[in-house]
Amino acid sequence: MDKEQVTLTIDGKTVTVPKGMVAVDAAKTVDIDIPVFCYHEKLGPFGCCRMCLVEVEKMPKLATACTLNVSQDMVIKTDTPKVKKGRNGVLEFTLLNHPLDCPVCDKGGECPLQDNTFEHGPDLTRMEYNRAHHDKATPLSPVITIDRERCIACQRCTRYSDIIEKDTALVMLNRGFHNEVGTFNNEPYDTRFSGNVVDICPVGALTNTQYRFKSRNWDLKNAESLCAHCACNCNIVIGTRQNRFMRVQAKSSENSVSNDFVDDGWICDKGRFGYQFLESKNRILDPRENGIGDSRAGVIETAKKVAASFKKIAEEHGPDSVGFLGSPFGTNEELYLYQKLFRLGLGTNNIDHKLYADSPGLPVDHYDMEDVESADLVLTIASDPTEELPILDLRLKKAVSSLGTKLAVLSDQQTLMDCFACHSLRYNVGSDGTVLQSLTDGLGKKGFKKNKGFETETGIESDAFKELIASLKKSTKVCVIYNPEKLTGDSVHILKSFLTALDKNSEGTCGAIPAAPATNALGAMDMGVLPDYYPGGIPVSNAAKIRELWGDSAPVTEGASASELIQKAESGELKALWIYRCNPLVDFPGGAKLEQALKKLDLLVVHDMLETETTRIAKVVLPSNGPGYDEGTTTNIGGRVQFRKRGIVTQNPADWKILGAMLKELDIESDYRDSFEVTSEIASTVPGYSEVNRKNLRKFGHQREKVSNPKVPESKGSSEKAPDKNALRLRVSNYLFAHDKILDASSSLAHHFQTSSIYIHEDDAKSLGLSSGAEVTIKSDWGEIKAEVQVNNRCNPGGALVPYISDEQGVASLLNPDGGPTWVTFKN
Amino acid sequence: MKLFLTHNIDTKDLHSIKVYKKQGGYGSLEKAFAKKPDEIVQMVKDSGLRGRGGAGFPTGLKWSFLAKDVFPRYLACNADESEPGTCKDRVLLQKNPHLLIEGMILCAYACQIETAYIYLRGEFYDLAEIMDKALEEAYEAGYLGANILGSGMNLEMYTHLGAGAYICGEESALLNSLEGMRGEPRLKPPFPAVEGLYGKPTVVNNVETLCAVVPIMNEGPEAYAAVGTEKSKGTKLVSVSGHVKKPGNYEIPMGLPTRDLIYDLAGGIRDDNELKAWIPGGSSVPMLPASLVDTPYDYEAIAAAGSMLGSGALIVMDHTTNVVEEALRLAGFYMHESCGKCTPCREGTRWLHQILSDIHLKKGKESNIALLEDICDNMSFKCFCPLGDAAVAPVISSIQNFREDYEELLNLAKAGTAS
Ligand SMILES: Cc1cc2nc3c(=O)[nH]c(=O)nc-3n(C[C@H](O)[C@H](O)[C@H](O)COP(=O)(O)O)c2cc1C
Ligand code: SF4
Ligand code: SF4
Ligand code: SF4
Ligand code: FES
Repeated sequence: MDKEQVTLTIDGKTVTVPKGMVAVDAAKTVDIDIPVFCYHEKLGPFGCCRMCLVEVEKMPKLATACTLNVSQDMVIKTDTPKVKKGRNGVLEFTLLNHPLDCPVCDKGGECPLQDNTFEHGPDLTRMEYNRAHHDKATPLSPVITIDRERCIACQRCTRYSDIIEKDTALVMLNRGFHNEVGTFNNEPYDTRFSGNVVDICPVGALTNTQYRFKSRNWDLKNAESLCAHCACNCNIVIGTRQNRFMRVQAKSSENSVSNDFVDDGWICDKGRFGYQFLESKNRILDPRENGIGDSRAGVIETAKKVAASFKKIAEEHGPDSVGFLGSPFGTNEELYLYQKLFRLGLGTNNIDHKLYADSPGLPVDHYDMEDVESADLVLTIASDPTEELPILDLRLKKAVSSLGTKLAVLSDQQTLMDCFACHSLRYNVGSDGTVLQSLTDGLGKKGFKKNKGFETETGIESDAFKELIASLKKSTKVCVIYNPEKLTGDSVHILKSFLTALDKNSEGTCGAIPAAPATNALGAMDMGVLPDYYPGGIPVSNAAKIRELWGDSAPVTEGASASELIQKAESGELKALWIYRCNPLVDFPGGAKLEQALKKLDLLVVHDMLETETTRIAKVVLPSNGPGYDEGTTTNIGGRVQFRKRGIVTQNPADWKILGAMLKELDIESDYRDSFEVTSEIASTVPGYSEVNRKNLRKFGHQREKVSNPKVPESKGSSEKAPDKNALRLRVSNYLFAHDKILDASSSLAHHFQTSSIYIHEDDAKSLGLSSGAEVTIKSDWGEIKAEVQVNNRCNPGGALVPYISDEQGVASLLNPDGGPTWVTFKN
Repeated sequence: MKLFLTHNIDTKDLHSIKVYKKQGGYGSLEKAFAKKPDEIVQMVKDSGLRGRGGAGFPTGLKWSFLAKDVFPRYLACNADESEPGTCKDRVLLQKNPHLLIEGMILCAYACQIETAYIYLRGEFYDLAEIMDKALEEAYEAGYLGANILGSGMNLEMYTHLGAGAYICGEESALLNSLEGMRGEPRLKPPFPAVEGLYGKPTVVNNVETLCAVVPIMNEGPEAYAAVGTEKSKGTKLVSVSGHVKKPGNYEIPMGLPTRDLIYDLAGGIRDDNELKAWIPGGSSVPMLPASLVDTPYDYEAIAAAGSMLGSGALIVMDHTTNVVEEALRLAGFYMHESCGKCTPCREGTRWLHQILSDIHLKKGKESNIALLEDICDNMSFKCFCPLGDAAVAPVISSIQNFREDYEELLNLAKAGTAS
């Protein structure tokens, strides 16, 4: 549907643009800058500041260019005496009661009010009365402070709150000259995306509390980088001064150009305010052996020495006596080199990075985040975007509320997206396999018939389920977003058959977004940090292809998975384990047994950026620089590969450099001079990545080609009955602001930290005699934790939902180490 | 004089449905239901009725602009009456509420509307009670609700009290307020007829406008059009206030000389003083000097004289007045009522008030007049809604017509500082 084009004249220049475009944007296409305050491309026309006055032929009054839809043959003039007087007048009004405290204003140097005044404003003021005064600093929340004196009432922030965040948390209060930005009842402005208003405020009214008075903007060094908190990989700008971290901004039209393939110019508060870990005292700066740190040892030397020890162990006990436990937090380059080190240098496929079942590749198109906007139906499965992938939450809200997209939510828990959904189906915890199988069958010839068995097992009403199937069938573009991490057992494989069935039976096109929340979850799969797949989704069984790409010495037998590595450590089969940016002692089930297993190893190496429970028991600890300091690419949920630039320079060698040295130590050729050279190697060896290059990484990144989908294993499917009638099936959900190693106690987001809670259904509460507020101990076969009961039907009867709120909470200790269901009971 | 709206206004208990019906009330409905909706729109067009809320837009034409085939549609009766000097709607609401209801039913039938609101200014809580009582009676009598008089027409009607903001009289701010949002005007286009209340086609009409539809229906568009001038048809309810002997609401045929209105109907100037200035159509229009008092009171003639008929509120000032005082009062009103959405109005109204206060307190400077004029120029037609232009009108017209009043105060200021 190409929009009708119109041709018009602006200041004598001929412009051809889509009909209905506003004049401000049309002028931009021919480099004519019309000054604005209230207009913002993502918020749309509003017309309140009157800064953008222009003259239009045949119109008696000046028009506001931000609300003026251009039409054929329109003649617009932006530099007539009438326009100049109008703008001058508007600026005089705007500055009339403005404090002009530019010398101490955070916005100074990047302030549209300064810039517009310089360009179009009066030199002097004719105002002879006292300027209005307000408090200079009113906290709206722990992270945002407002200086109401500087507010020019452009309503960008309140419209952002209304149009983008969709919660009208920030509103205009009072009337006329007394209007001011605030919140209902003076409640804190505490949302997941509040910080964006700091970026879009055209003056220094809304300020970042952390950054206030920290630096002049012109003294900042700004690096266009990526947020590393979740797998959206939002584009951020890291500002530093004298190599010290100062602030994070969204990369947007305010400072550059927004990456609409990813974040649409917004970031969440975790991405903005959650970067204090960069200067955390828990950073690992020196290598450490046997608990003794040595700043003179040299990271590379230590790493080379340990690599040689691994080699020795592998030679002595066989290659499968060593293993690698990576993580979805490394860059593609780092993960790629690690798998290469273990496969080619040590000859083992004992490589993994995750606990849940999943295999690379999709049977349908891999959609980019932007596809959410053009889809007419988005189906989320077991996904909780608000807590897991916040920017996806904003994208979905935008699509649903202004682009006509319909949302269907299929989950075992209530999420904040439910109120935007037209189908909101909640299945019983653990019944996802059955639900997905029924969906697959329902789309096919068999169809779906109303059935009591299905209803009791899944908790979903047949009619609602039928409607969902009908919607899926008749939509023209369906985008399925699923979180593999929250599917139980191996039902992710059923999900893939569902995608195949959808592709076959729906009238339109379809695609999917695998939405595991960890920063580079997709990249880790793509880079083959898996026991059964080489990079690019090549299964170990495809020996011919592997030999062709990786040479004759590449191992072609399946290695041990993450949980098998732990088992083998316990049994003594595994002698040496290398852990990279992963903290199994907190994140893996097993509790004390796990710790004992790891302690049994002859050699435990942890390569990480922050001290963790696991670094404490490691024989060798190596520093990893991590986001902010490192450089490399990550692949977001949309398959988009982007470059993460460094913001702060460190003396420690980059991880790719350490890895290069280790590879060399193990006689594998490696002469990388920068991270890009590793990227180029990835482009030439990893299927799907061939088009990734410096040029497209510099712009908006590049969506890698879909990774081939080798035949997925059949699912065993499982839905188990409770072992005793008082047991509930545990579901651990995500909470965006969990108190962990990254958001530690010193974080300015600490006000978001929650206490341990367990959410249960009112039916169960009744039969168990529990009520909201009760302090309980939750017990499983493997461990116990404390929590407060919340009775609020977030999940169906029979389920118990525990949000992961902190490392200390110890949720993982409850979990079934085999990956099977976890049943919990209560002890008062 | 032929009267259409107030001929029986002083009938005892006219506000009760019993009395109203005895006077022939609700008689127009049967006639209307015998016709097609479009025919009614045509009748209103033929009558020449123009909006009585201020802008004087032809009512029938407005109704015909409703987006085709988009439903539901809404009717919002503008009973926000907040323009200083204006109190004509109030008398209709208070004394003849059923006339408004009947007019609204006619409009709803003509425009195929099933939901109607009467938006009353916050201070009209007493009138809201009267209206609510009348609505109750009308529902009971079957004039509202489902299948009205067996015609198949359905109509629900509600009152809604604002919170007392002048800007909520502006139609799009009214709609925002009705939706529970901040009373700020909306961007136009889209106009309410296309996207109004809840994004649906909406008719917004003034109380007096809707009331006038009833006599048009009863007596025919010709009878209505026979009164008035060529382009200003029918009668107008005018609120006369200020230095007259008998301030009040007077229904006059359009085109009556203003002199007759002031000197006959309103009994002349108090103390038989001399007329100095008059504001023809409420605080938002330019004031005129006494020399123009023979101007016929209709849209065209008053526009030709340099002002506007506006809401039909005639404010009269005698020779004892220094118009700066009036300008200051009105500037204070607009400063108070500016919604604050746009910069020139939010800041400009306050600045004008600051300067006028100084002049009034004999603290002004000679340069103030030029400054006032320039501020007015910077505001005029550069604000988001007409309130900003309205705020400028009294200031600029008082300078234009009564510069000597300013100079007098400025000279006193000079003398004061000299001594
Ligand atoms: C600032 C402002 C205040 C207004 N106040 C009123 C009002 O109190 N009552 C009214 O009927 N119209 C008022 N109007 C006019 C309305 O916007 C609208 O034109 C009118 O209600 C339309 O009805 P009509 O066509 O019957 O006149 C106001 C307009 C502006 C700009
Ligand atoms: S907001 Fe801009 S103009 Fe205002 S004080 Fe700050 S830098 Fe100066
Ligand atoms: S706080 Fe900033 S963004 Fe919000 S209205 Fe004021 S100037 Fe605009
Ligand atoms: S002119 Fe602007 S500030 Fe004044 S009332 Fe209209 S929108 Fe509000
Ligand atoms: S930018 Fe056009 S009115 Fe504000």
